[in-house]
Amino acid sequence: MVAMRQKQNDGKFFQTTKRGEIQELKEELHANDKQKQKDAVKKVIANMTVGKDVSALFADVVNCIQTDNVELKKLVYLYVMNYAKAQPELAILAINTFRKDAKDANPLIRSLAVRTMGCIRLDQVTEYLLEPLRRCCQDHDPYVRKTSAICIPKVYDINPELVEDQGFVEILKDLLGDGNPMVVANAVAGLAEISQTCGRDLLDLDKGNIPKLLAALNECNEWGQVFILDALATYDPSGPSDAESISERVTARLSHANPAVVLTAIKVILRCMEHTENPEVLRMLAKKLNPPLVTLLSSEPEVQYVALRNIRLIVQKRPGILASDVKMFFCKYNDPIYVKLEKVDIMCMLVSDKNFDQVLLELKEYASGVDVEFVRKSVRSIGRVAVKLERACERAMNVLLELIETKVNYVVQESCVVVKDIFRKYPSRYEQVLSALCESMEVLDEPEAKASMIWILGEYAGRIDNSDELLESFLDSFHDEPLMVQMQLLTAIVKLFLQKPSSTQDMVSKVLQCATEESTNHDLRDRGYIYWRLLATNPEATKRVVLGDKPSLRDDSQSVDKNLLEKLSSELSLMSSVYHKYAEEFVTRLAVTPSGADEKAQDDDLDEEDRQASRREVQEELERGPDAGRNGSGGLDLLDLGMGDDSPPRTSGAAPAVQKVAVLPPTQAGQHGNTGFAVSAAFVRQRGSPTLMMTFSNSSSGPLGGFAIQVNKNPFGFAPTQQIACPEIMSGSSAEVAVVMTPGQLMSNTPPTNPLLLQVAIKTSLDIFYFHVQFDLSAVLVESGALTRDDFTPIWQRVGEAGQKVAMISMARPMDAEAVKAQLAADNVHYVAQRQVDDGSVLLYTSSQTPNNCTVLSEVAVSPGSSSLKVSIRTETQVLMPLYEAMLSRRFG
Amino acid sequence: MISQFYILSLRGDTIITRDFRGDVVKGTAEIFFRKVKFWHGDAPPIFNLEGVTYVFIKKNGLYFVATTCHNISPAAVVELLTKMSKVFKDFCGVLNEESIRKNFVLVYELLDEMVDYGYPQTTNTEHLKSCIHNEAVVIEAPKTGLNLPQWNPRTVPSNAVHRPVGPMQNDSKSKKNEIFVDILERISVLMSSNGFVINSAIDGSIQMKSYLMGNPELKLALNEDIMVKNMDLGGSHGGYGSVILDDCNFHECVDLQDFSDLRTLSFYPPDGEFAVMNYRITGDFRVPFRIFPFAELQAPYKIEVTIKVRADIPEQNYGGNVQISCMLPKTSASVSTELAVSGQSAEYLASEHRLVWNIKKFQGGTEAAIKCRVTLSAPVSNIANIKKEVGPVSLTYEIPMYNVSNLQVRYLRIAERHKSYNPCRWVRYVTQSSSYVCRF
Repeated sequence: MVAMRQKQNDGKFFQTTKRGEIQELKEELHANDKQKQKDAVKKVIANMTVGKDVSALFADVVNCIQTDNVELKKLVYLYVMNYAKAQPELAILAINTFRKDAKDANPLIRSLAVRTMGCIRLDQVTEYLLEPLRRCCQDHDPYVRKTSAICIPKVYDINPELVEDQGFVEILKDLLGDGNPMVVANAVAGLAEISQTCGRDLLDLDKGNIPKLLAALNECNEWGQVFILDALATYDPSGPSDAESISERVTARLSHANPAVVLTAIKVILRCMEHTENPEVLRMLAKKLNPPLVTLLSSEPEVQYVALRNIRLIVQKRPGILASDVKMFFCKYNDPIYVKLEKVDIMCMLVSDKNFDQVLLELKEYASGVDVEFVRKSVRSIGRVAVKLERACERAMNVLLELIETKVNYVVQESCVVVKDIFRKYPSRYEQVLSALCESMEVLDEPEAKASMIWILGEYAGRIDNSDELLESFLDSFHDEPLMVQMQLLTAIVKLFLQKPSSTQDMVSKVLQCATEESTNHDLRDRGYIYWRLLATNPEATKRVVLGDKPSLRDDSQSVDKNLLEKLSSELSLMSSVYHKYAEEFVTRLAVTPSGADEKAQDDDLDEEDRQASRREVQEELERGPDAGRNGSGGLDLLDLGMGDDSPPRTSGAAPAVQKVAVLPPTQAGQHGNTGFAVSAAFVRQRGSPTLMMTFSNSSSGPLGGFAIQVNKNPFGFAPTQQIACPEIMSGSSAEVAVVMTPGQLMSNTPPTNPLLLQVAIKTSLDIFYFHVQFDLSAVLVESGALTRDDFTPIWQRVGEAGQKVAMISMARPMDAEAVKAQLAADNVHYVAQRQVDDGSVLLYTSSQTPNNCTVLSEVAVSPGSSSLKVSIRTETQVLMPLYEAMLSRRFG
Repeated sequence: MISQFYILSLRGDTIITRDFRGDVVKGTAEIFFRKVKFWHGDAPPIFNLEGVTYVFIKKNGLYFVATTCHNISPAAVVELLTKMSKVFKDFCGVLNEESIRKNFVLVYELLDEMVDYGYPQTTNTEHLKSCIHNEAVVIEAPKTGLNLPQWNPRTVPSNAVHRPVGPMQNDSKSKKNEIFVDILERISVLMSSNGFVINSAIDGSIQMKSYLMGNPELKLALNEDIMVKNMDLGGSHGGYGSVILDDCNFHECVDLQDFSDLRTLSFYPPDGEFAVMNYRITGDFRVPFRIFPFAELQAPYKIEVTIKVRADIPEQNYGGNVQISCMLPKTSASVSTELAVSGQSAEYLASEHRLVWNIKKFQGGTEAAIKCRVTLSAPVSNIANIKKEVGPVSLTYEIPMYNVSNLQVRYLRIAERHKSYNPCRWVRYVTQSSSYVCRF
């Protein structure tokens, strides 16, 4: 310690000559006058907040900590917390004071010490914290206990094992029964956080501790109420009576002034409503939820926004609650745009036969406003109302007609798109709007509007006299149009031709030529050829195909997917309910502790001396320990790519799991024509055995069960080792299934196809479904395929240059030989030997084997700095060569 | 739990920054500012960038921002930021860039007491006072006219009391023993051109700021006939003319035991500014101003727009700083206005195609009118066509000592026996416009 301090002073000599201010502050810090000392610390902190590095004064500031003056002490603590990370060894100097303060007679100082120690993310400090923390959890002062409760998750974040081994989780659980509501609330928050990190439910709510929480709920402050209500929302009531008694206790929270309390209480009550079927109770609860929801709309716009996003979910989940309140969602002229857009969406969700008149009138007003984005949204919404309610359609069409007549550019464009949707929903009605649209056609310059107009022209070619002229005007600039417009134009002209064949022969051949011969776009070309062949072979059949009835349009643009809705309604009032996304999609760090990269980033902006840097490295090494293990268990995957790099890229979340591909869409019918079962699958090697990983999703109306699997004969003879063990899947949910395959069972005695395919049949209670899974050679290659040098050479020579294929594999970025080796090993391509060539490149020799003892050998040339590999493949089984090559391309590409 | 908190100036300077959890990358303040600055239109208060969620509010020319990477309650974060800004205001006296800069040590001390490891602990000024040791550096309050600042419609400063709370106030000899109560109502009205009210609502709030010594219990009595929908209240039932609230909520300090029978709220007022009660009324009430707009086509290039406004409030009251604005057609070439009375002013803002008409004092029971001749650059054949481009007419105003709902404070009693304890009680009624619009 002494040596360290001396070194620190040595470093000072250089600084003081440059920084007179620091020296001045240093002297003031050692002043005898307490007031002067205090002012000096304040100056130091002022410098700290504007970003100046005053860490050099650490020892001097810490020196001031031994004081009875609470104000001065707090200032020093503030400073220490900020710099402890940069000066870990100096922070240790302060530790004895921390420990002493944790025993101070003043509860404020005791909790200050515990709070600050928890914020210093250093293992050394954490060790010293344990004993005072344990004591402070039993402190007689609630302020100290509540601070200690929140300190436990802090320590857990630094060292989870320590917290579990030392029984702090149990202490935290005991605090749930504390007499002080704030302590209970913090214990709830702490347990919830630790549960989330470790993936176990530590709160363990049951009938025993629910009353404790409900009692604390009534007494603690607004923030504590939010913690407790959030915890209550995770509890599944044991039955209707339990649910009703909880919702009864929580209802009082609905009139709280804090919107977070109100929203969270609503979540709890909605959850309880799931567990009761008594219509009377449901009606009563729904009635109670209405006023607080509406009241949220008169708060600040920020809160309104959160409320509106949540209300969207609530309206979809329980439409009854707000059914008669559409007026409350009418926009005020001074609402910010983000509020207005949400309100309009909710208006569309609440529109009904009773109120569509009012809603359309409002939307029309909005559509004549000045904010372009809002005007567009309003016009679209008019269309949504029309598509949703047949009775409102007439009225909506009139409104649209009026809007088109204004000839305001973007209003007309938007109306055009909307009219197309209405025509799709209600064909051959409201044709009076056609002439108005045709008149304002010249203003259309946006692709979507243009495409819509062209669609209308094609669809109503027979009713619009000059439809051929109008379409022809677009044709001249065919190649300048975006793809969307080109596609529509092609289809529309074909439709026109089918309706007026005599006069449009030239046009149709011109458009077909444009699409097939002059265009470079595949989709357009394909569609062009299809029409061409159809027309050439059987015009009558073409008519039936092209002009046939189209599936009706349904508006679900604003509704949330059913699975997502279920999840989100249990997460009401949380971030996910605002984003309308699964939490996993935006929560970047659920379980991963932020050690390495984060600290590194911070280190960069501190000019540190070498001794600190080296110390730090050791520190990081220690912290990285468990992390390295975590990465390793995921296999040698993409994460390893970064090892040679200076700055490992921060991957969000865990390592990417096996990528499943949709192999059976829910719309595909089974043997008996039933639909509603979807599968995504991947066939990969897992823990040394080829495994078929599948996700079954049930989108049918009832539960699915009775699963069984069969596979067709295949070149490597894969057959399921065991049958599927999958419980019944409820409607709208999905399940993960893994089936281990044994090779050499169902041999088809045919050569493998490229790509490799596995044909699978799944029997369910609904139907039998067939699909195939594409897979990589890596799923086939065995772990035991490594040859010795002695075994390798004879085969290599036997195949010789004649049976060799050379492939160039390009890589995403240059790699050295070791990295390549690791990558190959991941695919069971085993390393045999290597040779250094004069030009600096390395030749790697590898071997791999299939279960039926076919051997593939290769020589991989790795040149430094080059982003491609030269691979010479030699095997006696020639059919494996393209598969082998494809596997490597995928691995390195 | 939030990860970081900062206060930024409107120019993007970081005034205060605090990292509570260290699980979000540094430099988010710049990322945030750039994003919000270049957002098309108003940025929503919550957005996610590369896994970091930003939540912010704008108050008194300052951004209050929190970041997090967890799935937490955004309403709680918004509310926390709002409450923080209030606490800073309570302790610093005024809330602006200068006061935060000058009082940064105090602000940091407050932050550490309000939030621990990202979890809000308390935002109650009263509780905070007991563990705060720094004293505020008092900043001269900026002068505010009758027209209250636009950015802070919910919490109108109570009678321009810009005195900080906090330890030094306790021993200060100049301390006045007083309490301020505001009954503030914000009116939203949507009218059609024939004076018919399409939509109307009152957002009311009873705001209080207490500087009482010894923190005594208070009893605030409201009209005896107040009814709340969906709430079973005893006592006298409201007949004609009674005040019916659609919904209301109360500050957590309020004891509702006597509300049901006596319509009395009892509480120990916390220090600083707080809302005792918020309430909402929709449906029929007498709107304070009625607007009658007309548009007339005089020649193909000329229209005349007349707007008549009637103050439907008692004669002894008046609307202050009334501003009436009306959108005019985009083709307007020149506009001339004609006012009947002096003390009013009108101008046409050509860039916004907007007519603005100001009336400093609009006495209750009177009427005002403006005639406005507009010359158009393109001819119109039909008045219906041009009417679409005229309007809406919107109104902003403030009516002192009047409230629309008729909710009254019967008395504010201090449950203190001592006769010498006689603090000043200031009760004020204010009605303000929120969204007050009439369509053509």
